This record gives sequence, C-alpha cells and structure tokens, in this order.
Amino acid sequence: VTIRRLLIANRGEIAVRVIRACRELGISTVAVYSAADADARHVREADAAVAIGPASARESYLNIDRIIAAARETGSDAVHPGYGFLSERAPFARACEEAGLIFVGPPASALEKMGSKIGARALMRGAKVPVVPGEAPPDQSDKALSEAATRVGYPILVKPSAGGGGIGMKAAQSAADLPDALNAARREAKASFGDDTLYLERLIERPRHVEIQVFADTHGNTMHLFERECSAQRRHQKTIEESPCMALSAAVRGRMGAAAVAAAQAVGYRNAGTCEFLLEGSGDDARFYFLEMNTRLQVEHPVTEAVVGVDLVHAQLRVAGGEPLPFAQGLISQRGHAIECRIYAEDPARQFLPQAGTILLYHEPRGPGIRVDSGVGQGSVVSVHYDPLLAKLIVSAETRDAARRRAIIALRNFAVLGIRTNIPFLLQLLDHPDFVNASIDTGFLDREASAIAAAAPTELPAAATAALEFHRTDGTRHHAPGTPGTPGTFGTDPFQSLKGFRV
Amino acid sequence: VSDVRPLGDGWYLVTEGGRQWRVAIAGDTTATWVFVDGQVMRIEAPTGRDRPPGKGRGDGGVMSPMPASVVAIRTAVGQTVNEGDTVILLEAMKMELPIRAPRSGRVTALHCAKGDLVQPGVNLLEIE
Repeated sequence: VTIRRLLIANRGEIAVRVIRACRELGISTVAVYSAADADARHVREADAAVAIGPASARESYLNIDRIIAAARETGSDAVHPGYGFLSERAPFARACEEAGLIFVGPPASALEKMGSKIGARALMRGAKVPVVPGEAPPDQSDKALSEAATRVGYPILVKPSAGGGGIGMKAAQSAADLPDALNAARREAKASFGDDTLYLERLIERPRHVEIQVFADTHGNTMHLFERECSAQRRHQKTIEESPCMALSAAVRGRMGAAAVAAAQAVGYRNAGTCEFLLEGSGDDARFYFLEMNTRLQVEHPVTEAVVGVDLVHAQLRVAGGEPLPFAQGLISQRGHAIECRIYAEDPARQFLPQAGTILLYHEPRGPGIRVDSGVGQGSVVSVHYDPLLAKLIVSAETRDAARRRAIIALRNFAVLGIRTNIPFLLQLLDHPDFVNASIDTGFLDREASAIAAAAPTELPAAATAALEFHRTDGTRHHAPGTPGTPGTFGTDPFQSLKGFRV
Repeated sequence: VSDVRPLGDGWYLVTEGGRQWRVAIAGDTTATWVFVDGQVMRIEAPTGRDRPPGKGRGDGGVMSPMPASVVAIRTAVGQTVNEGDTVILLEAMKMELPIRAPRSGRVTALHCAKGDLVQPGVNLLEIE
C-alpha cells in the first residue's frame, strides 16, 4: 500500500477496527483523543496517540484544525475519518487535500453533492434513480415550510439537510404536529451539524430500509456489494442489520444494485459508500426509492464483509492509495447469512435512556461465525459525551435462522456489568415472531420496542442467587474484579496489585 | 442444593438441579451486578454513604436520570409550573431529554444553568 502512516480521526469501535486493518497492511497508526478518552481502547491500540482537546466533541473530534495539526506533527500521510464526527464534512476532506494528506473516503466534491439532500435528489432524478417525493424550500420560514409540507403531503418527515444517522429527524402526522417537529429538528440540526436547513419528505408507511454497499476506485471501476437490510431501527437508530434482505427478489436486487452504481457515478464517487433505499412491498413487485447516500464506511459494514467475504477497510486503504479495487462485480456473490446486533449503553427498561458509567466486568463471546467489533473493555469509562455504541456482534451462518440462533447464543454469553446495555432487549427481539419471519418494517421497533423490552425476564435463575451468596460470604476479594464497599478496586489483576513489578 | 465453584475474574460455575450455569459478579460502591445467560441484575448497595446528604429523591426536587448537559431552561425562580410541563431540556449522547415538572407548583430554586453538565441524583430545581 502507498499509505505509510494513518491518522484515525475517530474513537470507539471504528477506530479500533481501522487500527487492526492498518496493522495487517503494515501501515503505522496514529490515534487522536479527547480529555475524556485518554484511557480509551483506541488510544492503547494505536502506534501513537495525540491529545486533541477537551471532552466536548466540538472542541476535539470535530476540531478540523487540531486534527490536521496532529496529522502534521506525527508525519501522517493519510487520514481515516471513520463514521460520524467529520466523516461526511466536505471542509474536512478539503482541509486534508490542502494539507497534502490522503483522505480515506470520497473526494470533497462528492461529499458536497451528496451532503446536501436537496442537491442529491436533483442529481438522482437526473441519473434516473427513483426518489421519495419531498422538497426543501429555499425560504426556511415556518410559513414556507408549512406550505411545502402541504404540497408534499402528510404524514411527513422533517430532516436536517446536512444530517445523517437519524439525528434531528422528526415526524409530523398532521399540520398540527409540524411546528414542534420543525423546532426540535432545527435545534438538533444546529447543535449536531452547525446548519439548521430543513428538508421535508413524504413519510412512506411501513417501508423497509434496504441499503446497497458501493465502492469505486480511481481507475474507472464502480461496483456494488449487494444489500443490507436495516429495518430494525428505533427512532432512526439502527439496532439489527442483516444480509441478504429476505424481501428482495433477484430481479429487484439487480435493479437496486444498478441504481446504486448509477447514483455513485452521478457524483463522481470514490471509495466506500452506501446508497440507502426505502423498499415498499416485497418480491418482484417491490418498489424502491433512493433515500440518501452515506459517503463513508457504515457502522454495519461487517455484515457485507461476512456475506461477500471481503475486507472493506483494507479495500478503502488500497483504493485511497491509488490501487484498483481488489474485487470485481462479476466475481463476488452473497454466501450464507449475516446478522449484526448493536450493543448500546442504554437501559431498555427505562425508555432506552443512554447510560454512563464504568464497565466493571466485560466478556465477549467467541466461536465459529462470531465476530465482535468493540471499542471498550473491562475498566472502560463510558461517558455521556459521545454516542452510546459499545460494540457490535456480527454472526454468520448458512441460513438466516442458523445465524439468528447463533446470535442468541452469542448474546447469552456476552457479559457487560457496571452499566446497563440493550443485550436483554436484543435477545427478546431476535425471538420475536415478526423478526423470526423477517416481516418487519422501519416502524416496527417504534411500535413494539416497549412491549419487547417489557417481555425480558425480570428475575435471574436461582443459580445467580447461589453465586451471589458465595460471593458475599466467601473471600470475595480473591475472586471478584470489584468488591462492594471498596471504591475503585479491581481485585486480583496482578498488574494492578503487584508493586514494583518488573518485566 | 447448589454447588458454587469460583472460576476467577468474577466468574462462578454454579451446579443446580443437574445443570451448570456460568455466573459473573462485579461490584462497586453503589451496587453489585450479576450476569447469567444474557440477563443482568443490579443490586443496590445497602449503605447510602455515596449519596449526597440532603439531596435525595422527592420533596419537590427534579432530577436528571443520567449525566447530561443542560440545553435550555424553560422556567425561572418564582414562576408557576403545571405538572407535565417541560421545565428543563437536557441532552445526552446526541439525544434530547425533556425534564417535566413532577407536579404543579412554584419554582423556588434553580440549581443548574444552560451549558452545565449535570449528574443523576442531584436536584436541578425545586418546586414548592
């Protein structure tokens, strides 16, 4: 590979994922971190690390000047933006280009074209890619937006034009709900993207969210790597993703793939990207509408890696360095089934409130067909400053049902103590009849999440009580990583208790 | 009758009714956590030493359920609020979290300001 030293402008599991890929390709890595992340896993795993500011993302992971300076100081020749933070910001890609750094992603011009939902839709119409009815009035007053909403038709979705990841997206069922939706969307858009331009879109009811992974190199190749089904989302935050999508016939899959490639070509796309579509219906009669393009690596990229048998981060690094794509359209296929479960620090029993705290005990499942991408470990402090994704469990097997069962067994062996996670919720979801039948739409979790959360067992097996009794009465501190009443101790870890230990 | 064998690092092998369970236990000053078979239980520590004195739940106080930052304050000292009114808007992990008045009354004190990072279990404002 051309790249010699890569700075990762991100944190958490994706930073760890990129560091691993670099290690395999012989690229040295530079982590950046905020004051809240000095002890984070991505910092420990990189070859070098640079502090870039206080905990607030705005002053650290979103600080373009500071990150470019860190790249310069460390002699980096490339920057990987991960997802979220600066990954889809054209000014950041441009700043990298101007500083002579390779931006591992699309050119700034493609980010600009796809970053504006308004411009992207116009371009997609031109490229004959079907889009959902919607508009973004140049006059952004409440009055003009409300008139536009009436033209588009209710129910309607209010979205930040500069947004992504569901942040700031608000639904209005009727004109009466619109003012609240506009205010909330504006506020979140301003806070998250620094731009409160809003976009109104017809809400297609009971659709599936199906996205196509695309990849383009600098040698004129643009291809797709099939679909991911991401309908299991709560308040636009994805929870479970899988591939293949059971509602896609071969014919529709082919047309969606071609549409995604056309979309990428229309903006001169390069590197990895994803075209999101809404799918109405199933089988050969299904219709799909282009939603938006995510101009970055996705959280759920391992699902594609599992069914297609590729390494998307390796490919990103090669293509960014000027090499041709390491795979070709005619030579790839989908094999078996993969499911990703996102492990969030949130409490399903209390309206999925994000949780903060210290992870006292952490154990990931292992076994055939099981992969865990995580950004935390035992002792990690989960703070309130960043998004609550702790880890991703990706399982693959011959069939969807085998993958589903494998995911359940793996989650039953995924121990996270000290902070609530959504693992008990995921276990219920994977066993829900509608999930088992692959018949869920994007509104499913918004309708059913509370009922699914409430179905989780509230009592532990009697074995737990027996272990607890033993733990309390018998030499507790010799066996447990933490002991009630002794602040901050981590029991038996010799590297914490041995004094003057030399290697 | 059950048999418990410590496996180290907080793990226990429990044999009960001919079946084996792997149980994990960890704790800190506030609680003990137990894991078995994908389910987690949190048991509050019996002592309340870690709680700030005089700042407990109830008595007209309004608290954040989690660490969060204050985005907006929708009331002021002396103002009358109705039960269910959003009095404070918090934000945590990119999500807005409206804090509503638990009952109607007059706001007698405000313990936070816009931009503050607030902790759970601490009163944000008081309603008389």
